[in-house]
Amino acid sequence: MTMHLPESSLAIVLGLSALTMLNACSKEDADPPATQPTPPAPVATTLAVTHNIDALPLTYDTIRYFNEVGNHYSVTRLEYYLSGLVLKGADATADHALAGPWYINGTWPNTFSLGTVPAGVYSGIEIDLGLPPALNQTNALPNTMENVNMAWPIPMGGGYHFMKFEGHFMHQGQPTGFAMHLGKNQNLVHCVINQAFVVTDDQGSLTLQFNLNEVFSNPYMYDLAAGNQSMGSDSLMAVLRDNCTTAFLFEYQP
Amino acid sequence: MSRQAAAILLVAGFVAALLACRKDPSLTQEDPCASARTPLHLDYHAFFPDPVIPADNPLTVEGVELGRRLYYDPILSSSGPLAGRSCSSCHFQEHAFTVPDPGVPAIGNTNVLSHCNLAWASHFLWDGSAGPTLEDVMRYEVEDFFQLDVNVLREHPEYPELFRKAFGTCEITLPLVEKAMAQWFRRLTSANSKFDRFLKNEEALSPEEWRGFQLFFTEAGDCFHCHSMPLMTDDGFHNIGLDSIFVGKGVGRYAVTGNPMDMGAFKTPTLRNIALTAPYMHDGRFQTLEEVVDFYSGGAKHSPSLDPIMTKPGTGITIGMTPEQKADLVAFLHTLTDDVFVTDTALASPF
Repeated sequence: MTMHLPESSLAIVLGLSALTMLNACSKEDADPPATQPTPPAPVATTLAVTHNIDALPLTYDTIRYFNEVGNHYSVTRLEYYLSGLVLKGADATADHALAGPWYINGTWPNTFSLGTVPAGVYSGIEIDLGLPPALNQTNALPNTMENVNMAWPIPMGGGYHFMKFEGHFMHQGQPTGFAMHLGKNQNLVHCVINQAFVVTDDQGSLTLQFNLNEVFSNPYMYDLAAGNQSMGSDSLMAVLRDNCTTAFLFEYQP
Repeated sequence: MSRQAAAILLVAGFVAALLACRKDPSLTQEDPCASARTPLHLDYHAFFPDPVIPADNPLTVEGVELGRRLYYDPILSSSGPLAGRSCSSCHFQEHAFTVPDPGVPAIGNTNVLSHCNLAWASHFLWDGSAGPTLEDVMRYEVEDFFQLDVNVLREHPEYPELFRKAFGTCEITLPLVEKAMAQWFRRLTSANSKFDRFLKNEEALSPEEWRGFQLFFTEAGDCFHCHSMPLMTDDGFHNIGLDSIFVGKGVGRYAVTGNPMDMGAFKTPTLRNIALTAPYMHDGRFQTLEEVVDFYSGGAKHSPSLDPIMTKPGTGITIGMTPEQKADLVAFLHTLTDDVFVTDTALASPF
């Protein structure tokens, strides 16, 4: 007995066959769909963070720096978070906020994309050294090795170190360790830098310069011999917080 | 269209569909060396970081099982100066994959590090001279330490089939040996101690353990800066003040970097299962946890490269714990023992 497909079924099967041919390679072999033309981006902007000690660049492990009090010191570790960046709009330009956070390690390049920034006139920037309260909670950040090593212990309140700035200073004739650790919500460092700039062209770069000597001065003189470890001291951390508010400068380059 | 023509078109259509995506003609012939591998997912807490697993060496059940067998098999050393030894000769499961007395001249006075949670490490050995991946470490272990002649595996009655299952190839190479062992090392995860259960609110600490926990994670004991949660190591290097003069292997990380500030610095060992891994320090100078705590309390020595974190408020280098505090700290350290890790038959010798 010979079996035949009815005409209508045959047409359906043929149609399916054709669809199969069309779809079989769709994931790998098909031409990509035509992309929609995108409107020109306002201004692609990067954030670069650099470090200096007054006129000197940051070089690790060498006792070569002097702070305002006269402590002769080196840097062995520098890690911190930046967050809450706001480009303050002027005239008709609105504020442009970027939450971050950005983990900064003094041994890393520390260049980040900020996406696109609306072109316009800005009167300055605001930025926080540390983490906002919503993120300053144990395990709030992704558990990268960097973040877990910045953890502020649960018995001390949880969250994260805002900053670890460590090194040696000469004390009574020998290198002695110091650790400027900053944490806790009340010590979030809020920096306001009023300095007008104009965002134009296709791309721009915002460079933040962190002068580490400002950690030890302005408004308070900080003597490492009188406070070489800050973490267990609310009063020392408050001094560091206030000093750090003036530790950053920035430059915008189109 | 006649039915016959339509049927031909139909068949042709299916054939075209099947052939259209075929990129490698060799796949049409069955590869006798091919194998179906089963992905293996590591079991660890959500608060652990993501482990470091290279894209070209994903964990598989077959790869880990092969690595396990190689770890316990003295065949690895059969062609080298350490003939008769396997990894497990110096890494006993009951001691969290380390050993109280290595007794191996090749490693001198170096204390044996635990094979625990190395999936998260980027620095290996006390001075960090191996890495940054476990595959790099295994290259050293297989080719330099054990000096394996890969032919002994090729000529073995069972290993060729195990390699085929693990990697889908009939060719055994040194890199594949190293990949299998790296997979096994990543499988050696420890995350089920009393402290872990405490963190998950599944078990309470005793009063002594609780006080020790408070000491460990505050400035009073200041252990946490280097032995950070959850791995109980920062994977970094520190000179903790064991010595003030550095000779031989005592130079530590300096031997790798040449940086004077790395003089006497060694990798931070994990404290997980620390109660099982005596002796302590890179040279095994301390036999008990009590001796270790005594050292941290008041035995550190000054040197120019002493880690800044070892200098305490007031610029001294002693903590000055009371006998009760020392006992509490030791009690807490015992909560880091993972009984499952040291008894799990899946981690034991397959022989």
